[in-house]
Parts: sequence; C-alpha cells; structure tokens
Amino acid sequence: MIAFVRLLARNRLALAGGIVLSLVILLVLLTPILPLADPDVTDTANRFKPPFSQGALLGTDHLGRDLLSRLLWGTQLSLAVGFAAAIIAATVGAAIGIVAGFYGGRTDNIIMRGVDMLMAFPYILLALAIVAALGPGLFNALIAVAAVNVPFFARNIRGVTVGIAHKEFVDAARLAGMSNTRIILTEVLPNVIPVIIIAMSTTIGWMILETAGLSFLGLGSQPPQADLGSMLGEARSALISNPHTSIVPGVMILIIVMSINLLGDGVRDALDPRLKSGALSRPMAATLVRRAGTPPPPAGRGLLEVRELQTQFHVKDRVYRAVGGVSLHVEKGECLGIIGESGSGKSVTALSVMGLVASPPGVITGGAVRYDGTDLIGAPYRQLRDMRGRNVAYIFQDPLATLHPLYRVGDQLVEAIRSHRPIGKEEGRAKAIELLAAVRIPNPEKRISDYPHEMSGGMRQRVGIAMALANDPDIIIADEPTTALDVTVQAQILALLDDLRRSRGLAIVFITHDFGVVAQLCDRVAVMYAGRIVEEGHTREILETPRHPYTTRLMACVPELGEGKRRLEAIAGLPPVVDKLPAGCAFAERCLKVQEVCRQGDIPLEGTGGRAVRCLFPEAPISEAAE
Amino acid sequence: MTGYILKRVLSAIPVLLGITVIVFLIMAMIPGDPATAILGSYATPENVEKLNRDLGLDKPLVQQYFIWLGNMLTGDFGTSFALNRPVIDEVLERFNATLILAGTAFVLCSLLGVAAGVISAANQYGWADKGITFVVLLGISIPSFFLGMMMILLFAVNLRWFPVSGMWPIYGDRDLGALISHLTLPAIALAVVATGVIARLARSAMLEVLRQDFIRTARAKGVAERGVIWRHALKAAMVSIIPVLGIQAGFVLSGAVYIEIVFQWPGVGRMLVDAILKRDILLVQGGVVFVAACYVLFNIAVDVAQSLLDPRIKT
Amino acid sequence: MTAALSFENLSKTFPVGRTLLGASRASVKAVHPITLTVEKNETLGIVGESGCGKSTLARMLVGLLEPTTGAIQIEGAALDTADPAEFGKRIQYVFQDPISSLNPRKTIRQIMDAPLKLLHGMGKEERDKRISEIFESVNLREEFLERYPHEFSGGQAQRIGIARALAANARILILDEPVSALDVSVQAQVLNLLADLKAAFDLTYLFISHDLAVVEAVSDRIAVLYFGSVVELGPAEKVFANPQHPYTKLLAESAPVVGRPLTAPEAKGTELPNPLDPPPGCAFAARCLHATDRCRAEVPKLTEGAQGTSVACFHPLGGAE
Repeated sequence: MIAFVRLLARNRLALAGGIVLSLVILLVLLTPILPLADPDVTDTANRFKPPFSQGALLGTDHLGRDLLSRLLWGTQLSLAVGFAAAIIAATVGAAIGIVAGFYGGRTDNIIMRGVDMLMAFPYILLALAIVAALGPGLFNALIAVAAVNVPFFARNIRGVTVGIAHKEFVDAARLAGMSNTRIILTEVLPNVIPVIIIAMSTTIGWMILETAGLSFLGLGSQPPQADLGSMLGEARSALISNPHTSIVPGVMILIIVMSINLLGDGVRDALDPRLKSGALSRPMAATLVRRAGTPPPPAGRGLLEVRELQTQFHVKDRVYRAVGGVSLHVEKGECLGIIGESGSGKSVTALSVMGLVASPPGVITGGAVRYDGTDLIGAPYRQLRDMRGRNVAYIFQDPLATLHPLYRVGDQLVEAIRSHRPIGKEEGRAKAIELLAAVRIPNPEKRISDYPHEMSGGMRQRVGIAMALANDPDIIIADEPTTALDVTVQAQILALLDDLRRSRGLAIVFITHDFGVVAQLCDRVAVMYAGRIVEEGHTREILETPRHPYTTRLMACVPELGEGKRRLEAIAGLPPVVDKLPAGCAFAERCLKVQEVCRQGDIPLEGTGGRAVRCLFPEAPISEAAE
Repeated sequence: MTGYILKRVLSAIPVLLGITVIVFLIMAMIPGDPATAILGSYATPENVEKLNRDLGLDKPLVQQYFIWLGNMLTGDFGTSFALNRPVIDEVLERFNATLILAGTAFVLCSLLGVAAGVISAANQYGWADKGITFVVLLGISIPSFFLGMMMILLFAVNLRWFPVSGMWPIYGDRDLGALISHLTLPAIALAVVATGVIARLARSAMLEVLRQDFIRTARAKGVAERGVIWRHALKAAMVSIIPVLGIQAGFVLSGAVYIEIVFQWPGVGRMLVDAILKRDILLVQGGVVFVAACYVLFNIAVDVAQSLLDPRIKT
Repeated sequence: MTAALSFENLSKTFPVGRTLLGASRASVKAVHPITLTVEKNETLGIVGESGCGKSTLARMLVGLLEPTTGAIQIEGAALDTADPAEFGKRIQYVFQDPISSLNPRKTIRQIMDAPLKLLHGMGKEERDKRISEIFESVNLREEFLERYPHEFSGGQAQRIGIARALAANARILILDEPVSALDVSVQAQVLNLLADLKAAFDLTYLFISHDLAVVEAVSDRIAVLYFGSVVELGPAEKVFANPQHPYTKLLAESAPVVGRPLTAPEAKGTELPNPLDPPPGCAFAARCLHATDRCRAEVPKLTEGAQGTSVACFHPLGGAE
C-alpha cells in the first residue's frame, strides 16, 4: 500500500491530478460552512451580473442566483452522483464478471449473452430508455448511468477472471481442498481487485460526464436543484449574450474530469505490473549506444569479430550487466556455439551484433562489433538496416511468435528480399518458392500462400530459416532455434542447418543451452556465465577435457540419454544476478575449488591456440588437453 | 467468407430479439396504468382506449410483447401522439440527419485517432507523444456539449466562420457546400472524445505489438523503420483497434444526442430527448429499437472487417 | 501387494467448436483409453512430445479433469471424483511453471497453510510445526515463509511447490514437467531433491516429461505416449537402449547426444495426424518406415513382448540386446 502511494506520487501528472482533485473535494466538503449566498434564491433584478461583481464573485445566472454558490453546491452533487454510479457499476459488474469468468460453461454463456445484448445498445439509448420509463430526475439518472456501465465492467472483469481461473495456482488451491466460494474469495478476488480499481479509476471521470450529460438534457437533476450538467443546460439559451454562465460550470467539469483522469492513469500505471518493470516501452529501431572511450582496435580475426562488448539493461536505478566484456570471432563457413544458462548473456551478445537488443532498457556501453572490418556499434541506423538480413541474418527461438501472424509466409519472404533490392512480383514468387524448397518444405508452390498459424512448428522454423537465407548472408545468428521444438523436429532442423552451412559456406553463430546440440553442430564453442565467456575452444577439446570448473560441473549435471537411472551431480546455489556481480570470479560462490584469491580482482580469459579459460585453478593444464 | 458473414448475420437475430425484450421490459417498469403513463399528457380517453387496443395492454405481458414485436416486423412502430404521425416515418427522417453527422464524426475520429496513436507510440516519450497525449487527455475530459458550445462561441459567433446551428440554411440552396459548412463544427465536436479514446487505445495497442517477437524479426531482416511501424505493427495492432472502433461507433451515436441539442441538428437524438420530455413513449420505444438495430448491423460489418484482416478467425 | 495407483481405460474426449445452438460439432480424443499400474515406491516416467496427451492424463489423475471413460484406483480403493479434498489427501500434483502455481498475493505461509487446514483440519500450532518439518526436508529456510512468490527464483519456487504437495501428506505425486522451466544447473538440484524425498517419505511418482534423458535418469519404468496412446512401456534401462516401437526408436535417435554424428533420423515427415480426423489404424503409420496395410487399417494393442517391455506395434523392432 505504501509502495503503491509512493509509486503514484512519483508520477508527477498523477500527483498534480490528485492535488487538484483533493482541493475540489475539500472545497465541496467545506461548502456547507462557507459564507455563500443561498444557491436557489432568485433575484431577477440582478440577473446576468458579470464575474467579479460586487457580492457575486462569479456573477449571477439568468434568475439572478449566485453562480459561485451554485457552482460549489452543483460540484458537490455531480461528484457524489458520479462516484456513487461508479461504485454501483463496479460492484455489480465485477460480481457478474467474476461469477461468469470463474464458473465458465453454461453460466458464463447465459450471463455473457445478456451482457452482449446490453452492449448492443449505444449506451445512451439504454440510459434514455431507463429515464423515459422511470421519469426524469437525478436519482433515476444515477441508476441509468450505473446500469449502462455494468456491462463494461462485467465484460472486462470476466476476461481477467477467466485468465486467473485457468492459472495453475487455482488448480493447486483445489487440490489443497478449497471450495469454489473460498477460491473465489481468497484466490481470484485479490488478483482481480487491482483490475477493478484500474477500471474504476479510469471510468469515474467518464461517469461524471455522463450524469452531467443527462442533466444537461434536462433528464437529470430537476430545478431548482442543480448539478453542473443542469447549470450548463440552463445557461445554454444565454450562451451568446452571457457566456460566463456557461463557461463557469463547463470549466469546472473539465477540471474535475481531467484531474480524475490524470489520477486514474497514475493509478493504472502504478497497479499494472507490466508497467512497473517498464515493459511497455517500445523498443527502438536500433539498440542505444553510449560508448565511453574509444572502441578497442580490431584484432583482425574472422569475418565477424566482437571485441570487449558490453551491453547493459538500465531499469529504474538498477544496472544489469547482461554482457560484461565479451570477445568472439567467427570465420567464414565456421559454426561457433555459444552455450550458457538463462541470464548468462548469450542471447544479448547475439542480438547486440545488429543492434537488436530492445532499448529501452538495453544500452551498449562498450566494445566493438566488426563485420569485415567495419564497426557496427554506433554505425548510422541506415547502414545497420542495410546490413541486417543481407550480411548477417537471424533465426529466432519461437517460430510462431517470430513470424507476422497476418501475412502469408510467401509475402514475408518476398519482403525480406525487397528490403534490400527491388524485385518484381513474378520473380519474387519464384524466389520465395525456391527458398522454401531449399529448406525442404514439401509442396512449396502451395505453401507460400499459407499463414504461419496454418503450419506446424517445424515447418514454421523452416520458414524462419528460409527468410534468413533470402539475401544470401555470410553469417546466420541462430538464437536457440530448436528450443521450442519437439525432439524429433529438432533433429531435422539441426541436420538442415548443418547441410545449408556446408553447401553455402555459411558462418553460423549458434546459441543454445544444450551440450548435445553443440557437440553435433559446432566447430568451436564459447561457454558463458554471468555475462562473460568463462571458457572457449574447439568443441571436441572442451567436451573431452573441460577446464573451467563451471563447464565441467554443468556437463556433469545434465543427464544424457543412455546413462540410466542415477543421481545427478548438482551444482549448489544459483547463478548471480547481473546487477550485483561479486568481485572476482562470478562462479566462486558455487565452486568446490574456490580459494581466497578467486574473489579478489578480475580474472582474465587466458590461453593459447584458440583455447582459453577464465580461471585461476583450471581443471587440467593446456598441454594435457592438447594431447 | 460468405459462410462467416451468413453465420454472423444469423447470430445477430437473437441479439435483435434480445434488444426488443430489454426495451419492452424497461417500458414495462413504468409504474401505474401503462396506457395512461405511456400517453402522459395525451391521455384522452379515446387515446387510452386506442393504445390499449393497439398494444393489447389488457392481455398478459408475454402476449403483449409478441403483439408489439409482430407489429414492428410489419413496419408498424405505432403512432407518435405528440406529432400525430407514424413513428417509423419520423424516425427514418431523423435518422438520416443523425447518420450524416455521426458518420462524418466516426470517419474523422477513426482516421485521426489511429494516426495520432501510431505517431504517439512510434515516438514514445518524445515531444510528439507528449503533445498528443496532452491533447488527447483534454479531449476525453471535456464534455462534448460544453466543447460544442465553446466552438459556437468562438468559430460561429466571434469569427463567423461557420453557421451557429442547424443543418441547412434557412434561406438559400440546400447544396453540399451548405451542408458541409453546417456540418463542420458539430462533426468535430462530436469526434473529439472518440478520437481521444481511439488514440489512447491505438497507442497502447501499438506499444504492445512493437514489443512482439515478429517486430524484431522484421527489423532483423532489414525492413525500414517506416515499414516496421506502418506495415507490420499497425496491421497487427488493428486486430485490437477494430473492435474498439465498433464500440466507439456506439459512443459517437450516443454523443450525437448532445451535439444535436447544442447545434439544433434535426437528428434522432434530439427527437428522443424531446419525446422523453413530452413523455411520447411510443416514439422513444420505436426510436431506441430502430437505432439499436442499426448499430447491431454496423457491428456485423465490423466483425466482417476483422475477419478479413485476421486469417486466424475462421468458421 | 496392491499397486499405489492404477487406472483402467482412462480416456478423455474434448468437444470442439460449437454450433449456434451450443451443441458441440466435433470431438477430439486427447487421451485414448489407457490402462496402467504404478507400483508402490516406483517412479513411472511418461514421455512424449507436445500434443501427445501427457498433461491431460496427469490432470485426470488428480481430479482436475473429469475422465470421459475409465476408473482410477489409489492403493486399491476406487476414487470418488466428487470430492477434490479426498483426492488431495492421497495424490498431489507438482506443476510445470513453479511461479504461476503460487498465488502472487499470498505469502508462502498462507499457501502452505491451506492444505494443512483444509485437508487435515490442523490447528495453528500443529500447522506451524508441520510446515517447519517440511521446509527442513526440502532445504528451504523458514524465513521464506513470510515472503511473496515473486521474490523467489524458479528453482526455489519449485521447491515450494513440492513442499506444498508434501504438506497434503499424499503418498503419490504427479510431477508434470517439474524441471523443464528450470535452468540446467538448477534442474539437477530439484531432481536430486525429488529422489531424496521419495526415499525419505516412501513416495510414488508419476514423472511426466518431454526430455528423454531426464526421464531415463529418474524412472524405474517408462511409458512412451504418442497421439494419446501408450505405444511402449518397459523398464527404464531398456526402453531407449533397445526400442521396440518405431516411434520410440525415432525419439531415441533424435535426442542430441555428445559424440554421435548429426544425422536426421529416418522418418517420413514430422506431422502428427489431424486430431479431428484421426487415422483408422496406427497413429504412427503415416510416418513409419515399416508400416503395412494392416497398420493403416487396424489399431495395434499394447501387448507384452520380449524383455519385459510391452509394445503397441504389429511389427516390433525386436533387435538384440
């Protein structure tokens, strides 16, 4: 609760809205004791006095009544009615929504059909019909406004409830012996309440507008009692001759509704967990680069050379060092594996190459990535875009999420080509068919007009590969391309990638967490831990004689097929969080061989002949490993 | 496709029936002797007797409903006592004017709202975003009737750019130019709120889509940023924007009631308010059912548009 | 000795699509009738790819889904599906996604309290004592009890999930992909913990996973699921080492293994049959290299073969040990 208020106060606009609204509420609470004229006493001799007149600060209306007094009393009434309508609508709507969403099936069907019927009316028709039946009057207007808003709440809350009712913790609660009522009250409701509050805070302003509207039409508060809407309605006939009588209540409505909306947006932002982490930021076209100092000079190795790359995530006041100085290189036609657990920085390293790390929050803060000698970090966006897909192409993890759901796969392939060179319709089609055939999709002439959802996971990933091949790149960066696939499909995709790289002389950077995959596909491998490479070398050497304790232990703790039932060699503890990296070796906390020196100062990645390890006490000397 | 449209049209039938039931039930809430209450100040003995006969008000509720429904299906919505004219004639005439006003406003708010939302999202936290966000906030906070009044003061009374009210000039030709000059202020005043709502939604839908993996794929294959925003992201965002356009059409139609009053526009909304104040209940009933039915049909069109956009919607 | 858990002809059919009037238009058989027995103190591994029905099967066994046909027996007694609380005392479930299986708005103590209070009616003091014991056995610190789920890593959250299952005092745990959401270095910790708990509390496990190596490493027997049916069932050390069913062989050869050259195993396509229009015969026939006309016309039954493995195939591979 305190955290919530603090979060809300941090949002300056919401704070301003909150202050204005508090002042208005304070004012209307004080209205009964303020020395104001009677709002309903007419004095036709003094009608239409302008603002700042003697005895009438805001002037008088067409019956000579004091506008200030009427304004404050009217505000009180409008606020009270608006809030009451919101609370009634939210309570009734939420109750209906929760019941429908939780029980589902027939209950849900019947309730939601009814809600749909109510929503089939433009809302004011329903409100007018209710007022027509009950007769004009403020209370009836309140009922009408609340009633027409119930369906909106019901539908909104139902959607959220359905999501929660299918969460695993609800199943767990059932297995813990809870009854449905108890589950609704203790499991569902606490998770729905923030949504109800958000929905309410963003619709209260709206309801105040609606009740004011009904009063404006003469269907709400009846004379002499006035709310802001009816004040405006009565003033309308004198709009041209005495505009101040209209402007005073109109501006008040604007102030109230605007401050409520500002506050409401603040409440929504503070309560919506997605916004808390800043997740709703849009990633920019290329990763931000804020490089301190000069980029490291090229070492002249490989077609693609990454030197001392540093990529960070800046979330609020925390800095996560996702990649903390990684150097890599890939030769033409070579396959380099990058292996590590989640959070090791392997994907971020790969995405940094072409500036595809989402920013915000990602920032490249140091190092260089050279393709054929040109530094890509800090290269102008135009140049980066031109090289994306043409020189370096990507294949991503989840093929369903990475293809555009609303375009045919053929069109997506052609677009990849067209982004780099003009291509005619017929030629594009022919090329798309050729690409699909190259990744061994049967019947490519027919498949190019499929949408991604019409294909199986394996077929979709083949399309992803075809798209990467579209412009004959030299390098393909594959970011866990088979992790989301079934094992039988994975085997085929891996075989395809291996064939393609041999037949086309492609260099592949393959990111994975699976030693089996690395062993089968990669020439060289780099092992990453907590944002840095801890060991690199030829795949066979690393697999046969791992030198970093982390590599050894990681390989030992993964069960491998054919070894039978046994106890695994677990690594105790957790990988460090990269916003609080320890001094010295990041693995020290979990290492069995740790010495005092391991925790002091930076440990370099050292070695010869392409074999290097970042450890003071490696498992076996290099000479042995070479044998 | 035809199958989908047919299915969607068929599924509208229960909704339309539901609408008539709801309207009928609301009218049944009227306390006291229904005929007298419905007729209000027109409750002469002859009128009461005629109404009782027309609606079968002496019969049980269910039977009354079916008589009323049957009459409506044959185009007989009853007779307005205040206007002494068939309800359907009056409604059709008025609805035409509303359609011109609300239709224009709807086109305006859809185009402006989506464009503002996309620009806002594409420049998140930039000046364009801040400016649009502020204007949008102002737009959704101002009562449309107050905005209309202020526009009259400024543009019609002070600047004399546009006529103060009405749909046609009192003297002179009823040509397109006259209509446009009369239409401009009310259409804009009506569009403002909906533009704000659509812009807000379009912005958040775009932000949501721009975080998706397929946007990263588009960038990775070298699609230019303009294409990423307007082709890839907007198309995907339209999936969640289109249903809101459908809902906003209802809000535009609702807002038209206020705007018609402020600008003296001879539409169905003004007719309904007058009818309520005069307690001309049959006119209210007929008007509400007719407009709601049109809105249901419009929403079918929205659903069809959605299914054309999104191939995942099938059957 | 009676089996810990047995079920006979257990199947699940889901209705698909609705007409205007709400009647279902078609149905999908997610699980074809399956009969299996899990012995006391045994770990039965269930392995299969996505869409094979393994999670549906698991949810039926704990009463979260009502089976379309079949009966479940726990320790010889038939289970009455009407009362989830009765289920909960005998059989518990450990979920795949450890974070989403914990209510984000409750403290860990509140989460742990629920089964003790509702299933066993324990008083406050008794509950606290029992929770301490359980937390001790899953290597969690007691100070965690006052925290909320989002403060935990996946591995810790999964320990909490296991602790909750233990709190119900059930003797049978259904482990539905309990480590697939975890990082490899944490996987081993949880797998070892599960092994320790099994020995300490005399538990019986049904271990469901898509990861062949993990299943092989923890199971006594393994059942291979394909398209809702068990196609092979046998001792863990034999199923993948010497597969009898062509599908099992395909799975075993597809798994990436260090030191084995990269070749796509022989198979025709990777597509599962359309569940709305299942083939009349063996579901694997279309992908099988040995399929005959009989395979395409007739569904093979699971029958006991050599070496104690059962296989649902007309042409089992046999093969030498």
